[in-house]
Amino acid sequence: MALKAETPPAWQRGKVASWLVTTDHKRIGILYISTALVFFALAGLMALVFRLQLSQANADVLSPDRYNELITIHGTAMVFLVVVPLLAGFANYLVPLMIGAHDVAFPRLNALSYWLFALGGATLMLSFFAKGGAAQAGWTSYPPLSTQAPGNGQDLWILSLHILSAASLAGAINFIVTIHNMRARGMSWTRMPLFVWSILLYAWLLMAILPTLSAGLTLLLLDRGISIGPWDVQTNFFNPAEGGSPVLYQHAFWFFGHPEVYVIVLPAFGIISEVLPVFARKPVFGYKAIAFSTVAIGFFSMIVWAHHLFTVGLPIPLQAYFMIASMIIAVPTGMKIFNWLATLWRGNISFDTPMLYALGFLSIFVMGGLTGIYLAAFPIDWQVHDTYFVVAHFHYTLFGGAVFAIFAGIFYWWPKMFGRRLNEKLGKWQFWTLFVGFNLAFFPQHLVGLEGMPRRVYTYADESWEGYNLASTIGSYVMGFAFLFFIVNVVRTSRSGPRVGNDPWQADTLEWYTTSPPPPHNFDEVPYVTSARPLYDLRRKLRVERGAREPV
Amino acid sequence: MLAPIAVADNGGFTPVAPESPNAEGIRDSYVFVSIFVLAIFVLVQGLLIAFIVKYRRRKRPRFEDGAPIHGAARLELLWTAIPVVILFLIGAFVFIELPGIKNIPSAGASGQLEITVTGRQFYWQYEYPNGVIAIDTMRAPAGVPVRLEVTAPDSDVIHSWWIPALGGKIDAIPGTVNETWFEAENPGTYTGQCAELCGLEHANMLASVELMPEAEFAAWLEQRRREQGSGGGELGKETWEGVCAKCHGLAGEGGIGPRVAGSIVLADPDAIENLVRNGRRTMPAVGSGWRSEQVEALAKYLKENPPSGP
Ligand code: HEC
Ligand SMILES: [Cu+2]
Ligand SMILES: [Cu+2]
Repeated sequence: MALKAETPPAWQRGKVASWLVTTDHKRIGILYISTALVFFALAGLMALVFRLQLSQANADVLSPDRYNELITIHGTAMVFLVVVPLLAGFANYLVPLMIGAHDVAFPRLNALSYWLFALGGATLMLSFFAKGGAAQAGWTSYPPLSTQAPGNGQDLWILSLHILSAASLAGAINFIVTIHNMRARGMSWTRMPLFVWSILLYAWLLMAILPTLSAGLTLLLLDRGISIGPWDVQTNFFNPAEGGSPVLYQHAFWFFGHPEVYVIVLPAFGIISEVLPVFARKPVFGYKAIAFSTVAIGFFSMIVWAHHLFTVGLPIPLQAYFMIASMIIAVPTGMKIFNWLATLWRGNISFDTPMLYALGFLSIFVMGGLTGIYLAAFPIDWQVHDTYFVVAHFHYTLFGGAVFAIFAGIFYWWPKMFGRRLNEKLGKWQFWTLFVGFNLAFFPQHLVGLEGMPRRVYTYADESWEGYNLASTIGSYVMGFAFLFFIVNVVRTSRSGPRVGNDPWQADTLEWYTTSPPPPHNFDEVPYVTSARPLYDLRRKLRVERGAREPV
Repeated sequence: MLAPIAVADNGGFTPVAPESPNAEGIRDSYVFVSIFVLAIFVLVQGLLIAFIVKYRRRKRPRFEDGAPIHGAARLELLWTAIPVVILFLIGAFVFIELPGIKNIPSAGASGQLEITVTGRQFYWQYEYPNGVIAIDTMRAPAGVPVRLEVTAPDSDVIHSWWIPALGGKIDAIPGTVNETWFEAENPGTYTGQCAELCGLEHANMLASVELMPEAEFAAWLEQRRREQGSGGGELGKETWEGVCAKCHGLAGEGGIGPRVAGSIVLADPDAIENLVRNGRRTMPAVGSGWRSEQVEALAKYLKENPPSGP
């Protein structure tokens, strides 16, 4: 692709201004990641506050309305402002580099996507200052509770999600077009990095499910009532008094919400599939099986949503169908786990921080996957639904799964992004504190859920639940502490971290072919891709040529 | 602090000890699934640790290649097929247990009792076939199948009925009637609480089932019917404590609703009637749809026991 080297006008060349107007996918990726990390800190702090309220029976730290605001915004932010954008950030940074392209297909659309994300995030966070405070109906915001909620918090919640959906959709279109059309010469579908496969599915899934969320949210907004000029519109889609159905919203929400889990988890899987082989010094075990299982998971994730509705009284045959469909997803997921394990088999394993996170991911994610079987078996779900068991389950998948993978990614690609390595010692301290804190925080929640503690309660009177909850609270603070190591690490190494070359890990994919950090146009030239591990092939070729030149 | 963990229901490693066949069926399914879950958990974590130990770098050069293995179709087929078999077994077990969990047993000699359960912000209202109303604490006969029709008024929000020892939960959805049941042998009190976020006092929307010997239950039901007919008895107290006190405090001292102790409204039956039926400003119409007996009982109770909190 011919790039015109236009010099930008003077006002765009400043240190700050150049970031504000950038359309470079690498800068946008970094913007995504850093903004999402700020939201991560905010949403994490919210959790630390409400964990204090739950640390004891009948505690008096938070009033019920503050508590409900905090859990609602914590959940919404963690999904929409933290984990998805972090992965979108990685996708932005890496996809063009991994496929040997100079940028994404639509750089300006890409910039728009980021700025919409920032706007949507600000809308959600600032909604705390709205009349009546932030939304209080939980991150799922079921009507009629959400339609009856007074104040503007709920409306801003809807607005924010609308903006964020638009941002995600713009990003998704960009990734699809980029991946389909801009791969390097020789990079057939079966030579594409597994992370890129996961982003392709992530993008297709978003395209398929976001419209349903938007429809559900729009109906919610209309049911709450809006004024357009002189007209007041107030519909009754979810209002049973006028013939509406509150459960309809739950279908719309979860038709989006369940695949959203995989929108998050597939790219996390992708990161793991990149990191494990590099630190085990082996090709990934069963490339095709992993790529295929990614597609299978993406497909099945769209036909299982009502396993979140097992207690609304659906007819038994429907519940049976949704159980079977949900269980089917366990098969390709299990496939991946065993393929990763087999990748370690007979390897030459080094335990740098990215690898620690990847191994930690494996250990924790298995637990989250296994507790999912209880939830899929619908009669068991009648018992554990909406309890802390579910809270534990989805933190094992989304925190243990996604966030651990994300930190594997941060430590792995940091040298590429900034040309310097993060400190290993601090990284390992962070990992171990996080691993211990995480399990201390969330394992007891399985137990207290089975003991009968529902989720989303601002207080409880049963003192036999206190031990579990106190453990959870202590665990959450240990986790909070772990992230301090990361902050210190970033600050300390930003000036003085050891510089690295193009390919410090001796990795296999194209992003390591160019300099660290890469130039604005990414590559001067892109090698012809001969397999799923182009750099491995190049290294071998070099070795052979050198061997041929040297006398035997 | 650790003592309660040790004594309660296996410390939470299994669901609350079941007292009704449906809860038992669920517990059995849970245990059956756990066998496979534990086995897979141990297998995966075991392999993970074994590989980490066995294939760590030791003295090999940092970038020396491991074994050049790209995959093994047979092996991969194996770990696709085995999960399918396991899931099939789990599915089959669930379907075998299902009728015992879902279907209410056919009525024995003493028939079956039907109770309507209405979830409202933030109380449970029960109505027995003879018109007796109770709040939050349900009384039921031991050894008799009890069918529950669970719903919520159109103007309310979704709640979820759940007494862990007596079975799974079922949502109380405005405009819909769902069904569940229990049949328990051992007299005693079984507790639970609303499991669907329903607003500010969701955490205090507790429920309990007091199971009594059949004769005792019959006597209770008859007594309540007589009291209710004469506009008094326990119902007034239950209504104050179950409905009003959730927002205003037991002694009217205030909570998420304002302090009402000493309010002239509470001394005036007509004013009470107007207030609970229509609500006022931010107070919802908590008594819309109540029968007049219930309003009268509340008024009578408040007259005799005017809340006098600080
Ligand atoms: C869901 C919470 C809630 C419940 C349940 C509730 N109230 Fe209230 N109540 C309120 C709120 C909020 C107000 C303040 C209304 C306002 O002025 O905006 C209030 C106000 C009142 C007042 C003062 C009215 C006035 O302005 O003079 C009285 C008296 C009262 N409630 C009695 C009751 C009684 C009796 C019950 C039980 C049948 C009850 N409330 C149940 C929330 C509740
Ligand atoms: Cu789901
Ligand atoms: Cu509730």
